[in-house]
Amino acid sequence: MSATSPNDIAISIRNITQRFGEEGAPDSVLALDDVSLDIRKGEFVCLLGPSGCGKSTILNIVGGLFRPTSGTTLVEGRSVEGTPHTDQIAFVFQESTLFPWYTVIENFRIAMKFRGMAASEWDDRAMKALKAVGMASFARHYPDQLSVGMRQRVNMARGICVETPILLMDEPFAALDEQTRMVLGEDLSQLLAATGKTIVFVTHSLAEAVFLSDRIAVMTARPGKIKTIIDVNEAHPRSPDFMLEPRFSELRNQCYALLRDEIRATMAAQRDPAGVEA
Amino acid sequence: MSTASSTLGSSGAATSRRAFHLRMILIVGIVAALEFYGRFVADATLFSPPSKIVQSFFTDIMGDARIVRALWICIVEIAVAYVLSIVFGVTTGLLVGATPFTRRAFFPVVIALYVIPQVSFLPLTILLFGLGPAAKIAFGFSHAIFPIIINVVSGMRTVRELHLNAARSMGASRLDTIRHVVLPHMVPSLFTGLRLGMTLNLLGVILAELYVSNSGVGFFTRLFAEDFNPGPLFALIGSLAIIAIAFNEIVRIAERRLTPGAHRKTIIKTAGKEKQ
Amino acid sequence: MDRAGAQARIIQLAIFALAAGGWYFVTAAGGVSRLLLPSPGEVGTTLLRLIQTKSFWNSVGVTFSSILQAYVIAVVGGIVAGYLVTRSKTAMGVLEPVLAGLFTIPLTLLLPLFILFFGIGPASKIAYGATYAFFPVALNTIAAFGHFDERWLRAAQSMGASRWQTFRHILLPGAFPVLVTGLRIGFVICFASVLGGETIASAVGIGHNIALSAEQMEPGRLYAWIAFVTITAVTLNLLITSIENTIVRRDRK
Repeated sequence: MSATSPNDIAISIRNITQRFGEEGAPDSVLALDDVSLDIRKGEFVCLLGPSGCGKSTILNIVGGLFRPTSGTTLVEGRSVEGTPHTDQIAFVFQESTLFPWYTVIENFRIAMKFRGMAASEWDDRAMKALKAVGMASFARHYPDQLSVGMRQRVNMARGICVETPILLMDEPFAALDEQTRMVLGEDLSQLLAATGKTIVFVTHSLAEAVFLSDRIAVMTARPGKIKTIIDVNEAHPRSPDFMLEPRFSELRNQCYALLRDEIRATMAAQRDPAGVEA
Repeated sequence: MSTASSTLGSSGAATSRRAFHLRMILIVGIVAALEFYGRFVADATLFSPPSKIVQSFFTDIMGDARIVRALWICIVEIAVAYVLSIVFGVTTGLLVGATPFTRRAFFPVVIALYVIPQVSFLPLTILLFGLGPAAKIAFGFSHAIFPIIINVVSGMRTVRELHLNAARSMGASRLDTIRHVVLPHMVPSLFTGLRLGMTLNLLGVILAELYVSNSGVGFFTRLFAEDFNPGPLFALIGSLAIIAIAFNEIVRIAERRLTPGAHRKTIIKTAGKEKQ
Repeated sequence: MDRAGAQARIIQLAIFALAAGGWYFVTAAGGVSRLLLPSPGEVGTTLLRLIQTKSFWNSVGVTFSSILQAYVIAVVGGIVAGYLVTRSKTAMGVLEPVLAGLFTIPLTLLLPLFILFFGIGPASKIAYGATYAFFPVALNTIAAFGHFDERWLRAAQSMGASRWQTFRHILLPGAFPVLVTGLRIGFVICFASVLGGETIASAVGIGHNIALSAEQMEPGRLYAWIAFVTITAVTLNLLITSIENTIVRRDRK
């Protein structure tokens, strides 16, 4: 990790360990084991790893949704103690977290109401964010009336409208088909270039990680640790041409090589004892 | 998220074991409280402590050949009504659900009949079938048949196109498809119908039994209530409850044994929800 | 409507006409005893005569006031109890299977006890209806609040929602459709239970009149009462369904 002044650090994760269940109990799981990571302001960092490696757990700890078993997290220099710093952080989950009982615009209003923002600002901010993703004409629709791709645009806009410096994205595109994913990825890269947001993004997809990230943190199988950090030196906004460059494939292959062993390790742990030799 | 959910999964067994123990403690606690209440607080003409009820079960219920006979008749009525409702319910369901057209034509008729409160037909049923077991069987049958028909039809409707295509791609004949795809697919829905059918069958038979108050179980409940003799009354009601639980259990065990891929995710829906 | 739909409707009308016509011709031809099946005309005139009497509306009043009282008790009790149970994982694990299990036993068995405790009057029917309807309301409340989608709660938490806000804007609207289902099933069961209780043991009410007409071998009155209950039930059912469709606007998939 290159040396940076503390002022440039948006998120500082120090020696985080997360255990679910009592230590020593038969059903206790060590999800994260001594994870440390600094994320600079305006940086796009992907957490890439096999299922169950604790990627989302890191995000939830940074976002203040979980309190870690040990270790500290600083967001803009302030420590996160299991309470969301909603003035600095917005979450984007999968599209299914849009509240189906509210219309699109009501979903935005409620997100701002929960944050205690002034009601006079709600609709202006909501429409601005909806325009940014090209969904302004669907403000009065219910989420169920939109396609999955449209819902995810709305969902992304809901995270953007509160204009926090940091965006935490938990596999937001997992339910989408690959083409839609790619288009939304381009949108995201443009957003990053335009707003200078810090984004932490959890994904399973190798191509997505390489296309979007400044840095990719490749994680090990459970208990999750950071195995390697890969730098992607390419300015935002990125064009689809980036995917055609040899460098893109190299990075993608590099990620795959790093992940392969971890995925095999995860699968071996799930296999029944009488299973065949790998 | 996957981490958190798998943690919950692995601790699930321990949690449910603990819940089971707590449930037992709760039940023992309630029985103890009722015992205390019955012995020291309650009016003896209205309430009996559990120990007296158990005693009464062996002396007044099992010791009285007439009551034992009435209970046996009840069991036979429940069983016969249930078998009849399965035979006619499944057949009707298969006919109604056979094609999209028959479903559209006849299913609304079934639903419309299901909406009518059958209890208003109770005295009429007795009038038509007499005071004996026939009336009770008829009333249990008419309660049980509807959920069975409805669930057979909806089980047939939800066969996935994907599974049918997969079978076709493997060269399955029409008969093969019905035998290996449609029928196994129906089983969970069928058992939902059978479970609800049993619940309503029990309701129907017991309603009719209680209504006919000059013979059988209804006679004895009225006798004990009018004599302000709660011991045997509670014991008789308890015996019927045990019979009901036993019948429900038989259906549940059959369901667990006979559902292919029984490990498939249990859908957490309340009994009430399934009812509709 | 498409062709198949129209044909289906015709078949449904034919079934109805067959049933009505069959009833008419069988009674007109004297094929069955009038004691078991009176003619449609007799039932119709009896019903028309009945609804002009004061005692008819007294009976209807008693039954519906019993149903209403039982229902209010069941709804308040069921929602409060159900909600409290979901506030603790342990309580839910312990109690939900108990409630679901009890609901599969015919609670009609409790009727003789309620009559012992509360007498032959409406109180015993209210207690019986309230007890029976309590279960679907409580079970659906537990299903609605206890098996709530975690993702929505987590999203709200990430937005900094307070406890009250989470309840008001997330839990309540999210749980609403399932809750309403419980209320509907509860009403249907409440209706049938009070009626059943009156049929088996009562001195007043609709159920009592049905039983009395049967005992006195007055088929005209018996069928008139049954017709009244059926019409009322179908109407109420249509009403409830349309209310439900109005308040639960979206049909969530």
